[in-house]
Amino acid sequence: MKKTKNPLRHRLPRELKSDFGKYMVIFLLLVLSIGLISGFLVADESMIAAYNDSFEKYNIEDGNFTVEYRANKSSIRMIEDLGVKVYELFFTDRKMDNGVTVRIFKNRTAVDLPCPMEGSLPEETGEIAVDRMFADNNSLKTGDILVSSGKEWKITGLVALSDYSALFSDNSDTMFDALHFGVAVVCEEEFESFSKNEITWRYAWKYNEGIGDKAWQKDRAESFSEDLSGIVDLVGFNPRFQNQAIIFTGDDMGSDRAMMMVLLYVIIVIIAFVFAVTISNTIVKESNVIGTLRASGYTKGELIRHYMTMPLFVTLVAALVGNVLGYTVFKDVCADLYYNSYSLPTYVTLWNADAFFETTVVPVVIMIVIDFVILSRRLALSPLKFLRRDLKKGRSRGAFPLSAHLPFFTRFRVRVIFQNMPNYIVLFAGIFFANFLLMFGLMLPEILHHYEETLPDSMFSEYQYILQLPQAAVDEDKKLESMMNMLKFQNAVETDVEDAEKFSAYGLQTVLGETKRIEDVLVYGIADHSRYLPLDDRFREMEKAGFENPVLASSNYRDKMKLKIGDRVTLKEEFEDAQYSFTIAGFLEYTGSICVFMPKEKLNEIFDLGKGTFTGYFSNTPITDIDKSYIGQTIDRESLTKVSRQLMKSMGGMMYLVDYFSMLMFMILIYILSKIIIEKNAQSISMTKILGYRNGEISRLYLHSTTLMTILEIFLSLPLCTTGLVWIYEQMIVSEMTGWIPYYLPRKIYIQMIIMGIVTYAVVAVLEYQKIRKVPMDEALKNVE
Amino acid sequence: MFLEVQGLKKGFGQGSARVEVLKGIDFTCEKGEFCVLLGPSGCGKSTLLNIIGGIDKPDSGEIRIEGEAMSLMKEKRLTMYRREHLGYIFQMYNLIPNLTVRENIEVGAYLSRNPLDVEELMHTLGLYEHRGKLPNQLSGGQQQRCAIGRAIVKNPDILLCDEPTGALDYNTSKEILKLIETVNQKYGNTVIMVTHNDAIRFMADRVIKLKDGMVRHNIQNETKMSAEELDW
Repeated sequence: MKKTKNPLRHRLPRELKSDFGKYMVIFLLLVLSIGLISGFLVADESMIAAYNDSFEKYNIEDGNFTVEYRANKSSIRMIEDLGVKVYELFFTDRKMDNGVTVRIFKNRTAVDLPCPMEGSLPEETGEIAVDRMFADNNSLKTGDILVSSGKEWKITGLVALSDYSALFSDNSDTMFDALHFGVAVVCEEEFESFSKNEITWRYAWKYNEGIGDKAWQKDRAESFSEDLSGIVDLVGFNPRFQNQAIIFTGDDMGSDRAMMMVLLYVIIVIIAFVFAVTISNTIVKESNVIGTLRASGYTKGELIRHYMTMPLFVTLVAALVGNVLGYTVFKDVCADLYYNSYSLPTYVTLWNADAFFETTVVPVVIMIVIDFVILSRRLALSPLKFLRRDLKKGRSRGAFPLSAHLPFFTRFRVRVIFQNMPNYIVLFAGIFFANFLLMFGLMLPEILHHYEETLPDSMFSEYQYILQLPQAAVDEDKKLESMMNMLKFQNAVETDVEDAEKFSAYGLQTVLGETKRIEDVLVYGIADHSRYLPLDDRFREMEKAGFENPVLASSNYRDKMKLKIGDRVTLKEEFEDAQYSFTIAGFLEYTGSICVFMPKEKLNEIFDLGKGTFTGYFSNTPITDIDKSYIGQTIDRESLTKVSRQLMKSMGGMMYLVDYFSMLMFMILIYILSKIIIEKNAQSISMTKILGYRNGEISRLYLHSTTLMTILEIFLSLPLCTTGLVWIYEQMIVSEMTGWIPYYLPRKIYIQMIIMGIVTYAVVAVLEYQKIRKVPMDEALKNVE
Repeated sequence: MFLEVQGLKKGFGQGSARVEVLKGIDFTCEKGEFCVLLGPSGCGKSTLLNIIGGIDKPDSGEIRIEGEAMSLMKEKRLTMYRREHLGYIFQMYNLIPNLTVRENIEVGAYLSRNPLDVEELMHTLGLYEHRGKLPNQLSGGQQQRCAIGRAIVKNPDILLCDEPTGALDYNTSKEILKLIETVNQKYGNTVIMVTHNDAIRFMADRVIKLKDGMVRHNIQNETKMSAEELDW
């Protein structure tokens, strides 16, 4: 005899049809979440692969060095005898008429090859191919004309230069600036027409033996640099492992993966609980049937499987559809986010087994585990209890007393709230999570704006010029020559600008282990009676306090490292073993960078710089009478806000995506859970209609309870979201980013969130009101079937 | 002996609120017998039926089905016992609302290794024309017939009926009783029916009258009437 298939399966399509709206919104939420994350993972992995492959495909340099004058053939031969192949990588930085700077290279044919993204490479004079992202940011397209002081170039194509995936104009910049800086290539003839005075003589090198890991690169670069400085006058040396324009992209890509996975799994857990609440409601509704089936011999396992089928089916189909969309639509959305930040070459979509596993198998397993546990508990009752509709575990506690002095409607609503407490608990989890995302989405732009707005208040001068010591002035092997060069340098960097004030500065780094990541710390030596930083009294106080090597730390340093007065910090020189210990004697409100302050002469003494030496200027007017080659870094408002501007550009789109997604999730959860509450009470609603209650009154009884709870939960979620976000933000900045951007959450965000929450709920409430109006009166008169 | 009930006791509540519903029930039942448990409301009939059905447990006493003691059965074994040997019919039909008549009957068939032919059974139950309807498209009698179909399709050894006509009018009740009688005769299942309708005792092989949680009478009917002949 052929075994009959479980006839309960016939219920599934009918249930799907009768509750299509509910399953559809859950399905859409799942598809959207899984699709986005799958798309992100696919794009992430594919682009990481494209980035990694680009080193070989585009023959990316192992490093570059810059010299003051073009190296002659014999120098190049001597350099190549050091076991490297040298390539010309000359460029000129041109300020365009629209205010942006374009670094123009001769078209590359051997090293750091360009990846054409659109159009063609320039072949004739007057033609130029510009970086694709820079073009996007400045609304440039193929065929447009770039103008710089009367000189015009026609854009023939858009490219990605393999050694500029992150558009750092200077390797010492905290952040790249793809809005104001771009790279471009012109044909050889065009490049030859540029004045030699404008050319930066940069050379790329590749090691003959190939490249090794980071430690190998560091050792090799150190010995190469030493030998190289004996052949040419170096003004810049940038091995690949330090070249931010090349490595920043690779370091950043993949770092968001964990966060995205957590996001997906939290959504799945919430949806699993939404399903659990839905199923629990169905179990209550069908308790007689369940009792009968159990009495007839259906096992608990069979019923668990039956009630789990629909959530699993919806999740599985959503996971499959989400993955298909992930590989097609969302992959491009996510890739665009990367293309919005980085100038990456074209990529090929790669099949990603991990992504498929994590966005299909894992969500289904999460759904199975949560729903199985909840269903096992719900169906653990005896068949008799189901037949008697007595679904309370243990003894029924009966109704809790409510004062008769309370108005009837109030008592009624309180009862509805307590009856639906499990729904409201899941709703709270959903509101908390949606608000968490929303707050995150709203907070980040605010933090960046606030940082830009408040930064001028803490700047000690409009400009800071950090001077660049020539290599020849610090050559330990040629001490006398170095001293002479230093004197020459000190004379050359004198300025006539009246409000310029000298200071000393020394760049150090934090020690890994003492901090979670290596952080650059600039040590400032401030002159006595400084007009920009009058710290004499504070320096005297800290001397009196008897600390060893006392310093004042910037508020950024304090906030990032959680420093207290009296703490000892150890800082080291980059690539050197020398370490210095300082005691934090106080703090200075400054958000520009992570730095410490001490008297100038003290700094010169500690770092053996010589009495009277200075390495920089504070000034409120621009200094123009010092040769640019002696200025290593200019710190002004624009350079300090580069981080926030670029972050806003890179992450702005993502933040809006997060805002919309969280609002959608908020809406869906409230819709589903309030729908469940109304369905659960359909019979009572119907009965109240028969008794003569109007729809408005019924809404006051049933819908207002949910309104009250939703508003209460929105308010309750805010402090929790704030606490959680501050913690996550601090962890993120500490472990993911150098520098520090202070946390800022203005009151208007709370108001925005409350308004958004209430408006979203109002839309759902209108839909639910329509539902209440449609509950038929014969519902109450129906048989239990 | 097919079914033996010995010294069955069951109470509910605690302390002063405790009520002893069954105070020591003893009776036996032969295979294929039509047995009626008769008594007023609250005398413990349904409790006794639920204990026989393995969905409630006695405080003491024993039930043996073909010699196997139910008290020794673990939860899983009890489920299998119900699955393999029992059919249940309730006063409320408890049909699955979004399954058709045919599918509701198949819900019972699924549980059996050797179910009756569903098509034939629907003819016997007079439901064949309604096989594609949902429960809310049926009358009370038709719904109860469907519930009977679901219970007997797996050809159970014992058919437990808890006030199966309690929610039905006179004519429909007689129809249902005739049906149960037919099933009993055609398939030879042991029927144990709980009722407070005194007239039904005339169609039974054995009548067990309960009062105050005790068996007051255990009567073997020498002659029995057909359901058709009953009147109340």
